[in-house]
Amino acid sequence: MAIIAKRCGIKFDPPSVILIYEDEHTSKLRKRVMPVRSFSQFSDCSRAAERLKLHPRHGHYLDLVSVEQLVRLHMVLRDHLRGLSVEESLREQRRSHTHEEDLNKLSDEELNRRKAQMDVLFELNRRHKDDPDFVYDLEVEFPDNSVRETCSWDQSDEEF
Amino acid sequence: MAGDMKRIPELEQEKYDADEQVKIICLGDSAVGKSKLMERFLMDGYRPQQLSTYALTLYKYTTTINGRPVLVDFWDTAGQECFQSMHPSYYFKAHACIMVFDVQRKVTYKNLSNWYKELREYRPEIPCLVVANKIDADMRMTQKSFNFAKKQGLPFYFVSAADGTNVVKVFKDAINMALSYKKNSSDFMDVVMRELENFDLERKEESAYEEEEEEEEGRAD
Repeated sequence: MAIIAKRCGIKFDPPSVILIYEDEHTSKLRKRVMPVRSFSQFSDCSRAAERLKLHPRHGHYLDLVSVEQLVRLHMVLRDHLRGLSVEESLREQRRSHTHEEDLNKLSDEELNRRKAQMDVLFELNRRHKDDPDFVYDLEVEFPDNSVRETCSWDQSDEEF
Repeated sequence: MAGDMKRIPELEQEKYDADEQVKIICLGDSAVGKSKLMERFLMDGYRPQQLSTYALTLYKYTTTINGRPVLVDFWDTAGQECFQSMHPSYYFKAHACIMVFDVQRKVTYKNLSNWYKELREYRPEIPCLVVANKIDADMRMTQKSFNFAKKQGLPFYFVSAADGTNVVKVFKDAINMALSYKKNSSDFMDVVMRELENFDLERKEESAYEEEEEEEEGRAD
């Protein structure tokens, strides 16, 4: 049976990976629910994703779904068990992906590619001088340093 | 490239000794938004000079402070970050420094201490402003405190080159700090330089001194 994966998502209760796929022979859209078993907030998402990919019954349904996507979905599941919302989980994932990378060491080409990726958000949030509410000298006051919570970036081993 | 930087006409750094000219340098990791901040401040009025041989971009800006015209040269890097270090002439005669990190990337914050260390090797006294850029990407970061600036006793700003938050303020403050530093500098080398300039040397002696200086620089390369 040929499977054409259309969408892949998750369900929290019970924790499952959901696949919407097309059965090539019947051209019918179907939904398959694959329970994620023995999975806790301490589980290794890469392993769990791999396990599902190699699962004797579910595995071949996921041929067209990348391991990376399955890892990300498992991370949302795990973060849910840790009490994070989907939005928070995705934000954390995006951050941990970008935070540790030292772009100083990239080649020009790779650096330009990364800058182009960053430009997407820049353009999205950008205020143009033609915008009706544009303010050139936009000053915004933020809470004083002493009342702000300490950033976790300052809590790691290295000291300034 | 080394010390030759000082001899090419675009980089005639002696001009920064004039009262009405200041040099402000930008420091920070690749892709923290240094150029974007410059462009947001200067808007359409900017005409950057790309000196790609020297991995440098110069932005010239003219303003009026207390009724007097002031010329500001902003020095921005164009890829020297990969060496994790700037050429000494980048720091030479600078009057202020704008140091930038990206609130989306911890490593750019951690690297501030390296940039700061290098800055202080060359310019122990100049005013330095710490800028947390890209707050538009995650406003929650503005509720956090960042120890680096506090610990070093440096002014700190939350900014966004995209939506413009506090960009103009940073540059205005930097220019004012650069000017007041220049006026009141207690930096040993600056004092020496000023004394030398004021010293009424005989013409003959003066040229002898300059020759000696040239030789010194040649050797330093």
